[in-house]
Amino acid sequence: MKKITISLIVLITSLSGCKKFLNVNKDPNNPTNVQEALLLAPIEVSISDNVYAGNAPVIIQDFIQGIAPNQPNPGFWNYQVFNTDFDGDWNAFYVITMNNLKILNDKAEADAKLNYAAIAKILTAYTLGTATDFWGDIPYSQAFQGISRITPVYDKQEDIYKDVQSLLSSAIAEIGQASTVTPGTDDYFYNGTMSSWLKLAYVLKARYFMHLTKAPGYTAAVQADSALNALTKGMQANSDDLGFAYAGAAGTENSWYLTFSPVSTYVMNSTVIDSLKARNDPRLPKMAKTAVNTGLYTGRTIGSIPGDLNAYSYPSDYYAGISASNYIVTYNEALFLQAEATLIKSGYSAAQPVYQQAITQHMLKLGVAQTDIDAYVVTRGTLTAANALQRIMEEKSVANFLNEENWTDWRRTGFPLLTKVSGALSEIPRRLLYSESDILTNPQPQQSAKLTDRVWWDAQ
Amino acid sequence: MRKERLLLFCLIFACTLHVVGQTKTITGKIIDSAGHALAGVSVRVKSTTTGTSSGTDGAFSLSAKDNAVLIVSAIGYEEKEISVREQTHVEILLLRSTQAMDEVVVTSLGIRRDKRNLTFSSQQLKGDELVATKETNLVNAMAGKVSGVQVTSSSGTPGASSRIVIRGNTSPLGDNQALFVVDGIPVNNDETSNIGGGAAGSGSNRLVDIDPSTIESMNILKGAAATALYGSAGAKGVVIITTKSGAVDRKPIITLSSDLSFEHPILPKRQWKYAQGPNDSTFFNGNDASQKTSASWGPLMDTLKIDGKPAPRYDPYKIFFRTGVTTNNNISIAGGGNNSSYFMSYSYMNQKGIVPKNDFRRNSLFFKYTNKIYKSLTSTFQLGYSNSNQNRLPEGASNGPLFVLLYEPISWNPYPVVNPDGSQRLYRNSRNAPLWAIDNMNNNSVVNRFLPAMTVNFTPADWLTVTERVGADIYIEQDKYTESPSPAIGLLGKILDQNINFRQFNHDLIVNLSKKVGDFNLNLLLGNNILTNYSQTVNLSSQGLTINDYYNVAAGATPSMSEAHYLTRKVGFYSQANIEYRKFLVLSLTGRYDGSSVLATNKSFYPYGSAAAGFIFSELLPQNVQQVMNFGKLRFSYATVGNEQVGAYSLNTPYILAQRNGNNYPFQGQPGFLLSSTLGNPTLQNERLDEYEGGLELGFLHNRISFEGSYFSRKSNHGIIPGAPISDATGYNGTTVNSAQIQNKGIELLLNANPIKTKDFSWNFTFNFTRIRNKVLQLMPGVSQLGRLIVGQPYNIFYGSKYQRNPQGQLLIDATGMPLVDTVQGIVGNVNPDWLAGLSNTFRYKQLSLTFFFDMKQGGDVQNDVEAGGFFYGTAKVTENRGPLVVKGISVVDNKPNTVAVNAHDYYTTRQYESSIQDGTYIKLRTITLTYDVKPSILGKTPFKGATVSVVGRNLWIYSPHFTGGDPEVSSYGSANGNQGIYAYSTPNSRSFNFTLKLIF
Repeated sequence: MKKITISLIVLITSLSGCKKFLNVNKDPNNPTNVQEALLLAPIEVSISDNVYAGNAPVIIQDFIQGIAPNQPNPGFWNYQVFNTDFDGDWNAFYVITMNNLKILNDKAEADAKLNYAAIAKILTAYTLGTATDFWGDIPYSQAFQGISRITPVYDKQEDIYKDVQSLLSSAIAEIGQASTVTPGTDDYFYNGTMSSWLKLAYVLKARYFMHLTKAPGYTAAVQADSALNALTKGMQANSDDLGFAYAGAAGTENSWYLTFSPVSTYVMNSTVIDSLKARNDPRLPKMAKTAVNTGLYTGRTIGSIPGDLNAYSYPSDYYAGISASNYIVTYNEALFLQAEATLIKSGYSAAQPVYQQAITQHMLKLGVAQTDIDAYVVTRGTLTAANALQRIMEEKSVANFLNEENWTDWRRTGFPLLTKVSGALSEIPRRLLYSESDILTNPQPQQSAKLTDRVWWDAQ
Repeated sequence: MRKERLLLFCLIFACTLHVVGQTKTITGKIIDSAGHALAGVSVRVKSTTTGTSSGTDGAFSLSAKDNAVLIVSAIGYEEKEISVREQTHVEILLLRSTQAMDEVVVTSLGIRRDKRNLTFSSQQLKGDELVATKETNLVNAMAGKVSGVQVTSSSGTPGASSRIVIRGNTSPLGDNQALFVVDGIPVNNDETSNIGGGAAGSGSNRLVDIDPSTIESMNILKGAAATALYGSAGAKGVVIITTKSGAVDRKPIITLSSDLSFEHPILPKRQWKYAQGPNDSTFFNGNDASQKTSASWGPLMDTLKIDGKPAPRYDPYKIFFRTGVTTNNNISIAGGGNNSSYFMSYSYMNQKGIVPKNDFRRNSLFFKYTNKIYKSLTSTFQLGYSNSNQNRLPEGASNGPLFVLLYEPISWNPYPVVNPDGSQRLYRNSRNAPLWAIDNMNNNSVVNRFLPAMTVNFTPADWLTVTERVGADIYIEQDKYTESPSPAIGLLGKILDQNINFRQFNHDLIVNLSKKVGDFNLNLLLGNNILTNYSQTVNLSSQGLTINDYYNVAAGATPSMSEAHYLTRKVGFYSQANIEYRKFLVLSLTGRYDGSSVLATNKSFYPYGSAAAGFIFSELLPQNVQQVMNFGKLRFSYATVGNEQVGAYSLNTPYILAQRNGNNYPFQGQPGFLLSSTLGNPTLQNERLDEYEGGLELGFLHNRISFEGSYFSRKSNHGIIPGAPISDATGYNGTTVNSAQIQNKGIELLLNANPIKTKDFSWNFTFNFTRIRNKVLQLMPGVSQLGRLIVGQPYNIFYGSKYQRNPQGQLLIDATGMPLVDTVQGIVGNVNPDWLAGLSNTFRYKQLSLTFFFDMKQGGDVQNDVEAGGFFYGTAKVTENRGPLVVKGISVVDNKPNTVAVNAHDYYTTRQYESSIQDGTYIKLRTITLTYDVKPSILGKTPFKGATVSVVGRNLWIYSPHFTGGDPEVSSYGSANGNQGIYAYSTPNSRSFNFTLKLIF
């Protein structure tokens, strides 16, 4: 017993020494703080890779028949989609992108680096806007609080839209303060040119005003007015585009290039190819490659028997080459927004010159010869009361090839006309499913939504 | 207890001995029950340091006083004490120690105890048994032999990992595998050799570095009561390995053994009737650009004509696989001088796998030296060194060769491998050709490992032993993966280099006190343990090759690098008290107080312990009953063991170097960091495993029949879930929580019998049985599913897309005759077996013995990805029947049994995940061994003391009625929790014949 007592004493006295011995849990591998520039670079990559061209955007391209996998049904392409298919997207949107944007914003505000704060807000607005167009009601007001708010409620889409506009307004105000600290090469998009960010903020404002043209409680005319107003300070040239340039070396491949890898079997959809062919669009050779086997422009029709990959067209290098740029928000889009808003406000004849300018600018960007542009504008450039909206949206969808806006525009306007694919398991989806991961960790009433349900602004 | 008796004996006789003792020379001979001389038997004079060992003829000679008592002992025999009295020559008969009840087993911390007195379940395996399995991976050698233990190999790749789980999975995402301890020193058994982004498939579990032939015995401690002294590290069960030793006063014994084995793959079933083609009518030749397809839905080979001639058939399996050849050569020397003993061993194992470019070579050296420094001080120094070198190709659904090979059309000639322009020759798009992959992918892993240990025993008095033991486990691993550019699948080539430095140091100071007080035998143990673990991983990678066939990582197109260091420390104080009353009641108490560096600083120390009792009721039975039932014991235990299954640095939320598609930043010249997506938990505390266990041990007819049965119920509480998912909307996708509860209940049975035992013929059999039921009780508040874990379900279910069924479980069929797919995913299988059993029979006739060992698994589903792909590609055996088929089920059109036929192609190419789940029940003849021991009389004139020849057949017969793959015992993506039960394009296991020659000098 004495021995035990002695041992106990030894034990107790040695414990304090042990505490010190055990105090080695300080992470030598990862920093506890980093400056704004280090955060901005990977956030911008995530915006381009994930928010613009990640898993959900690829599924959306299946829905709107921009692309098609060389696979039989069933799959995303005939609308067999499960909640779990979006787990990665929620992680990309909320964890990788928006949480880091929030940290960047908070840090920049604390350090009075207002330009970084403005950029963080603009990119948050873009990501949040994209997310709500995908999923409707989503978490925001209670989000990004870690363990202190473990089950954030889903805010109404209408509130998210208000948040998007107010984020953009705040960003515009912050840029207006002309802080001298600007990003440099850590800003892949604009290399710290704040005037370009400012134009982007206005175009995004216009985009999200126009999304609400048929939203309950909103009128198209008011939305169009707001959009036109914003667009006056928006992009003025193709060089103002929000584009992400990929270097195209191993590891720096364009994200769409990776999507069209032979392993994924994605090729161009016949819906896109056939409509370009039908209109004799001079952009066809600029946007698509001919099939290796035939030398012809051939898209794949979802639901048909899978054939040889070499029998189909791939997008041109401009859109999906290894060093292609991702054009996320463009001057072309701004022009089409202007055309649509003008149509709503002032009618088709007022919209026509804007519409023609929009087509022309996209063609110039693709390097279409002026004579071809002129010829095309002659055949397609005249708007009538009957065809104006359809033509504007058809041409916009060409200019926005591979852009997720095309799905939103189709839901808003019904153009370009789409028919559901052969073997479709439902009507064409009008929203995405909530992620299984959030259903499991954060049960919310909205999560029972089906693919064919409509988001708030998509009123019938 | 023996020590106390010895002490008493000394006290009583000391005076007498001292006064009247006369020294004389005693000679003698030691024989076994068959009359054969026994060599190397230790003979020592009781209460002295005098001792010797018998020579090859069994003879010995030593000096002793009159009335001296000789203690004669040899491993595997019952120890005997002989009073010399007036004799100068004695003939001593040693009896083989018959059964487990008499065994001395090595328990926690290397403490030897009589199995008779144990209050917990353990099962011992002899080194010979392990070697006889001819498995190069020690974990595989245990497969099927131990009740309560499930061993799962991952792949047939030489050196591939195997998983060992004792008494079921208790940790949601942490390690569930047993701790391995070699001579008191914990050794690392991580799954390594797999570079992220490199070769897919399993890695190697690091126990492959240990040469089974150096092992004397292995004792498996199953329950928490048995392992409580090991503290947190032992909460998942402990495998105690004791290596071979020399012996004092023994002439050198040299053992040479040489193995040669031939392996043949056990391949998945497939159809051999139909040619390549996209559907049932057309043939695609695979060569022309417009005739490439991955499918074998083409025409019948029998009637297919190419250029007017019958189409030639090609067997993709035969063309690709080869006969594996393994050689294993071992030499060892054991012996000793007056005060010292030694054991030395060297092995070279060279395994050439059944897949080209898959091989595994291991050099292992082991040395152990024990020296009696003073009368009361002995020391043992040992050093194990091994060099393991593994080459293997990617497995699984990767760009490795097997995915394509298993679906290759039989109409396709894979030669030549490349086109005249040097590009791959492919029958399909989007994947590499298997034979091209062999030539253009390399994956090599070299591990140099050192296992030094030093033990010092100080015994100042018979009742006191102080042991100081220091050991280390140090390895350096170098991995290199390269792949050539493959334009066919849009890859630009890759070079990956990884270096791992691993160091683990262990220290134990143990004070052991034994005392007999009246009817009580008391034993008290106090100790301290310090364990530190450090690893450094450096990764260098390059995407894109600039020069073909030049694999210097610095010369790749886009190099990137990363490094990481991890340091953890643990301190433990422990004590154990064993109290034995009149040889029939045993009480055992343990307590331990652990401190860990990975927990919250105010929660870094935590206590736990166990209480157990054994009641040897046979002692109280009348003599005539004891004649029949010589041993009977009931035991009960309760233990609660603390544990911290979490890596270092889980308390904070740091910024992490950003990655794009697996490549570290800088990206296009810009450095970048993102906040960790896992939220640190600064309040992290230990988890706890509570276990009740009851056991019954019986011995009949002098242990000709023995039985051991245990029931256990264990539950993990406050279970740590590292990276437990939380809503992405919190800004994080996971955090580490302390909330899991998983329950395991089980029965373990072990029956040994020796029904026939004559001089020339004997029959022995051993049967073991395990039945474990587990259930996930809780994950984290509000979360009912975590991947393959679902609250209320067994651990690791299969979850995915399934078909709609009516309440009677019948499929619902739509108007076109196709089964309706459910819009939600659900549970479609369960990986846990209903039960496991092993049956071993040994027949011995004179010098010849025959052992066959069956291993059984009832139930336990397998996700057969090979079959799932086979449906799609038209290569699955079941797709041989291509007529229209009527799916059995109820039509939703009229609620009557479906009568609408569907096209086989349409049916099979749209099968859902559910269809890939198969019942993994199997019975396999795991080993059959025929051994001939050359008679000593024949060897008399030769330099050999012993010679053995044996032939072993492995996996010669497998019965798996529901499984269409090769060997159902697989886990293609390795030994991690979430990978269990997935069969996906891993190197097939093999059937082998092994020839062994063993010579003893």
